[in-house]
Amino acid sequence: MGAYRADEDYDYLFKVVLIGDSGVGKSNLLSRFTRNEFSLESKSTIGVEFATRSIHVDDKVVKAQIWDTAGQERYRAITSAYYRGAVGALLVYDVTRHVTFENVERWLKELRDHTDSNIVIMLVGNKADLRHLRAVTTEDAKAFAERENTFFMETSALESLNVENAFTEVLTQIYRVVSRKALEVGDDPAALPKGQTINVGDDVSAMKKVGCCSA
Amino acid sequence: MKNSDNSSSSLDSRFNQTLKNVQGLLKGRSIPGKILLTRRTDPPEDPNLHERTPSFGRSFSENDAGTSDQMDTSMGSEARSTSKLNSNSTTTKLKPSYSNIEIASKDVQKSPMGLELQILQELQKRLRELAWSGVPPYMRPTIWRLLLGYAPPNSDRREGVLRRKRLEYLDCVAQFYDIPDTERSDDEVNMLRQISVDCPRTVPDVTFFQQEQVQKSLERILYTWAIRHPASGYVQGINDLATPFLVVFLSEYLEGDIDNWSISDLPADKISDIEADCYWCLSKLLDGMQDHYTFAQPGIQRLVFKLKELVRRIDEPVSRHMEEQGLEFLQFAFRWFNCLLIREIPFHLVTRLWDTYLAEGDALPDFLVYIYTSFLLTVRITVTSFALTLYTVTCLNFSIAAIIFFPLAMPVLCE
Repeated sequence: MGAYRADEDYDYLFKVVLIGDSGVGKSNLLSRFTRNEFSLESKSTIGVEFATRSIHVDDKVVKAQIWDTAGQERYRAITSAYYRGAVGALLVYDVTRHVTFENVERWLKELRDHTDSNIVIMLVGNKADLRHLRAVTTEDAKAFAERENTFFMETSALESLNVENAFTEVLTQIYRVVSRKALEVGDDPAALPKGQTINVGDDVSAMKKVGCCSA
Repeated sequence: MKNSDNSSSSLDSRFNQTLKNVQGLLKGRSIPGKILLTRRTDPPEDPNLHERTPSFGRSFSENDAGTSDQMDTSMGSEARSTSKLNSNSTTTKLKPSYSNIEIASKDVQKSPMGLELQILQELQKRLRELAWSGVPPYMRPTIWRLLLGYAPPNSDRREGVLRRKRLEYLDCVAQFYDIPDTERSDDEVNMLRQISVDCPRTVPDVTFFQQEQVQKSLERILYTWAIRHPASGYVQGINDLATPFLVVFLSEYLEGDIDNWSISDLPADKISDIEADCYWCLSKLLDGMQDHYTFAQPGIQRLVFKLKELVRRIDEPVSRHMEEQGLEFLQFAFRWFNCLLIREIPFHLVTRLWDTYLAEGDALPDFLVYIYTSFLLTVRITVTSFALTLYTVTCLNFSIAAIIFFPLAMPVLCE
């Protein structure tokens, strides 16, 4: 087990949810981010599980409380209750299984039905290491993300590609929204910058900076 | 995982503590099941009673305290196999006829059929008592079939019934599973896809389950069950529940350590018999908890609520502390009820734990509440300085469970 500190000091606590079809790699994204672990032998998530990790944004400590939800439709009656209070979401699909990308629309709808309109959403195409099995093109996903005003990234939890970036980007964006909100007394929900696309492999150096909390 | 650090004496004392906790809890429960105090580590409850009636007396005396109509864990397999709707009324009707031996003898005078029924019921009851403390591995397949009411208690009828049931399973597979996707509804296609995603990640830490044929068997069992139980359909976690059956029924044919098993050593007809037994036993098990897997899983939510209430009654400070920490029972206990602790304890100990589960029969759901309460309070004892947070509960789950349940394997090994 990773020995992260559960009760460290932090300036902000953000709740982030991981959603998407069964078997797309949500739990491995979470374990890669919070403990730098990946398991080919992972089990299906039952109900909701969670983990935390803190990162630095500007000079502030941002603690992410990340809720990993079961992918099966049956569990949504339970898991949707956990959307409450979420300020960020990673909506994950598997780039090798097209049907998981087709279902993104339904997930997005459910997310928007249950959360605040300010929520920061990132579409995440996981398993990008399986290049020969790719069934969803980067262009299609990017176009979808632009249309839906979400961020977008392709990741590989196995190769640790872009996992840090995806989470860090979401947390940073949330931080920007929150700190801007704190400045502006007139609360404008439309102020959230959306529609930006982050390219795969752009900012690999960022990975070296973080990872402080995995033992 | 981490239990190697602990000396065996501390394991023993922890286990004894846990056992005392469970038994202490059981004595106070308002919905009694069968209560057994057969372990050597027990403080003697009533030595006179033990001498007079070594087997039945104890459980009768415990049962007398019960008031609920849900108590009957020892009803005959015939009663158990009736539909869930009827089972309560059947139970109440049957209960007076065997809760007391004197009444039983009156019944005998009335009809010769009554005698046979009485004997069967007493045997079933005795079987449950014995199984509760652990079944030797070589007897486990037979005993589990009996406990679940899949095999009839009457040995003359047994072969015939099993043969018929196994054929029935084969028919179901042919009718529901061995068909092209074009003949399935969209929902059925989705369900099959979900099952095929989950089978390869079922007990992935045991290499035996990585064999493709094993995963295919599992897929057939789960899909057939799901199709025939449309009110719930397949729910993630049910895949875990099929695995103890698979391992136990395979153990009749495959010897040695599970890591050296190869399912391809078995002829196809044996595999299909084993699959059929798994299917029926899984069905019997789940019949007793139907609303655990229907929409929103009300049965599990109810048990989580009961768990929370019981913990509050027993240990108010820990309960308050958890509330202050924002620690929701649903967050950690949901999986315990959903997968019956298969995820939390080492796989080779699961079958031993299930001996006790299956011996509890219809009282299993309530029994789980007591097991998990003890589980939780043991975590609280082990974690120093009262630091029960979601982190400690979820991360320590596994290692603590290993410590608690490892000694449960002992009674069988000692025989």
